[in-house]
Amino acid sequence: MSKLEKFYYDNVIVKNFAYATAFWGVIGMTVGLLAALQLVYPIFNLGLAETSYGRIRPLHTNAVIFAFVGNGIFMGVYHSMQRLLKTRLYSDALSKFHFWGWQSIIVAAAITLPLGYTSSHEYAELEWPIDIAIAVVWIAFGVNMFGTILKRRENHLYVAIWFYIATWVTVTVLHVFNNLVIPVHLMKSIPVFAGVQDALVQWWYGHNAVAFFLTTPYLGLMYYYLPKAANRPVYSYRLSIIHFWALIFIYIWAGPHHLLYTSLPDWAQSLGVAFSVMLIAPSWGGMLNGLLTLRGAWDRVRTDPILKFMVVAITAYGMATFEGPMMSIKSVNAISHYTDWTVGHVHVGTLGWNGMLTFSVLYWLLPRIFNTKLYSVKLANTHFWIATLGTLFYVVPLYVAGWTQSLMWKEFTRDGFLQYRNFLETVTQIIPMYGVRALGGAIYLGGVFLMCYNLIKTVKSGNLIENEMAEAPARAVYVPHKGEHWHRWIERRPVLLLMSATIVVLIGGLVEIFPMILIDENVPKIASVKPYTPLELEGRDLYIREGCVGCHSQMIRPFRSETERYGDYSKSGEFIYDRPFLWGSKRTGPDLHRQGGKNPDSWHYYHMIDPQSISTGSIMPPYPWLARNDLDTTYTAAKIKVLQSLGTPYPKNYEKVLYQDLRKQAMEIAKGLEKENIKQENLDKKEIIAIIAYLQRLGTDATPKPQAITPSE
Amino acid sequence: MYKYILQSAGNINWMALFALLSFFAVFMISVIAIFGKRKSFIDRMASLPLEDSYVPHPENEETNEK
Repeated sequence: MSKLEKFYYDNVIVKNFAYATAFWGVIGMTVGLLAALQLVYPIFNLGLAETSYGRIRPLHTNAVIFAFVGNGIFMGVYHSMQRLLKTRLYSDALSKFHFWGWQSIIVAAAITLPLGYTSSHEYAELEWPIDIAIAVVWIAFGVNMFGTILKRRENHLYVAIWFYIATWVTVTVLHVFNNLVIPVHLMKSIPVFAGVQDALVQWWYGHNAVAFFLTTPYLGLMYYYLPKAANRPVYSYRLSIIHFWALIFIYIWAGPHHLLYTSLPDWAQSLGVAFSVMLIAPSWGGMLNGLLTLRGAWDRVRTDPILKFMVVAITAYGMATFEGPMMSIKSVNAISHYTDWTVGHVHVGTLGWNGMLTFSVLYWLLPRIFNTKLYSVKLANTHFWIATLGTLFYVVPLYVAGWTQSLMWKEFTRDGFLQYRNFLETVTQIIPMYGVRALGGAIYLGGVFLMCYNLIKTVKSGNLIENEMAEAPARAVYVPHKGEHWHRWIERRPVLLLMSATIVVLIGGLVEIFPMILIDENVPKIASVKPYTPLELEGRDLYIREGCVGCHSQMIRPFRSETERYGDYSKSGEFIYDRPFLWGSKRTGPDLHRQGGKNPDSWHYYHMIDPQSISTGSIMPPYPWLARNDLDTTYTAAKIKVLQSLGTPYPKNYEKVLYQDLRKQAMEIAKGLEKENIKQENLDKKEIIAIIAYLQRLGTDATPKPQAITPSE
Repeated sequence: MYKYILQSAGNINWMALFALLSFFAVFMISVIAIFGKRKSFIDRMASLPLEDSYVPHPENEETNEK
């Protein structure tokens, strides 16, 4: 045996990420509670653009996913990886850069999202300079991780490390592909893909953000911390390996289940459904492997809050990964999509799986690196029950709300008319459930405050072991021996493992996405569909800035209940100039794809300024600033130039005359409003004119106005 | 019944076939690979999270010394 080497684990970086996890957890969930309250009492929009729902919702999702869970991942990965590989992290400087870089990105997101700088791609809303910063910090994380793996003392890589590697490589690929944009200026970019192609790439990303940011790294944490907390090895190491390969292969194909019954070609939808249903198998393999690890230790679950959190987390993972595939079946999706059922489903995963596993790791880890005991087991037990209760109060009303609203959308009278013609009726019906949901969120957040108190007291009672001593023999140069299994050869070569994982995750992406991008016949053109006018384009960017896509879809599915309510179903050819696509994923308000021409301009004017004055009981936030702010047209020409470079057929040298077109259209709309007694100084220069122009254009190209019939002789 | 199954199989495009076959290949390779390992190795791997510092183990000796 080689001589034992003495070395030190870096606990400072683990502590930093642990603090950041708890801190951003509080912030992200508080913002979530604010958004939940806004859906019950619109007054919580506070009358400010920066705090209105459309801007707050992406702030909440980004904060909980990338700040709370993100820091939780780095905390767990840096803590477990050192111990599994028997070495200190590759570089203290890179660790620090990673930590402060990631926190700076979060702060940048917290500033820019409320200011309305957004790409509108869900969970990828941040604009291009921040995307570049994310890439740089992510690469630093990768170098630190692979550097640590290469200088390891342990020959073999435990399965948790495999999950970390797959996470890193897949998030890298997803981040690059979903953020392929051309900058217009420092805080505005236009995606290279349009319409249905943009939608497919976005949901390939969006689904795999759930898969490879909220799931695979947390499975790695489960495979490390569950055996630790239970003090027994994982139930089946063999099953964990099969779990790994099957999961990463299948997950990457499932994205199109977010686009069922949309304009996405049928073959892509079918692939998404098939692989989503298949996902049950590896997911439940992992869940059972986790729960069975507790065989013989269930008596401890009764008293140990850490194990309690872990059991509920793994159970929530099982529930969410059963429900997800079920919701991917087309007939179920026809009911669930666009409703609060999806929001409830997501929160089983985030509150149950991510939240509770994070809490358990924090409770387990902090006392150990501070060389002390948890301040109060009783408080941790109380937190467990509060968190469980909060989760139930959160998700159950959303299931009821989702089913109620969906059934109301689809209900017809005996005479064949929609029973609830007015969309608002289906909203006011579920507001009490939104109230209970907000209560559930408040309870859950209360538990997090309790945890913070418990952890602060714990930390104060101990002293951080900044450099924790450990011993292990140096890794000897390996000489392969006869009869050795080939897979062991792979395991000793992390680069090969990295490449294998990359190939496996790329297969699904390439097969699904490349034909979609390369084959023109997948997006049939419609001759009457023309590019947006400059004023409509600016109005569209205001629609993006205000986050309207968070509540309004622009995708009418081919159901009678939808075509009766909204108009003809949406076709892929209608979106070829939509950069980014704005199909949305939730209908808190009605679909807007055929909104053009439905209401007069004056209706939109009053509705934007004070929605409740037009629609009593509406929960839409007011947008009075749209009537106050002058429309900024500084970058209109630059936007048109970028769109031209991407193939949008604006006339040659259009930038020289586009401002005349813009002014002319704005004057016409303003004159029309004046005729309807809307008097306002410089009305034609206000933002509201642009957004009215955009809304009145929506969906009108494919359903042209009927031509006057010339009488025949 | 077989007639209908075969008829519908004719509509399956190359993507569906490729998806099925590539998954089958990845799944089988991982199953064969992991079930081809010795129990002592599996036990050693499973116990890794429980060893923060070095723990003498026969499998450890084997991989480091050979």
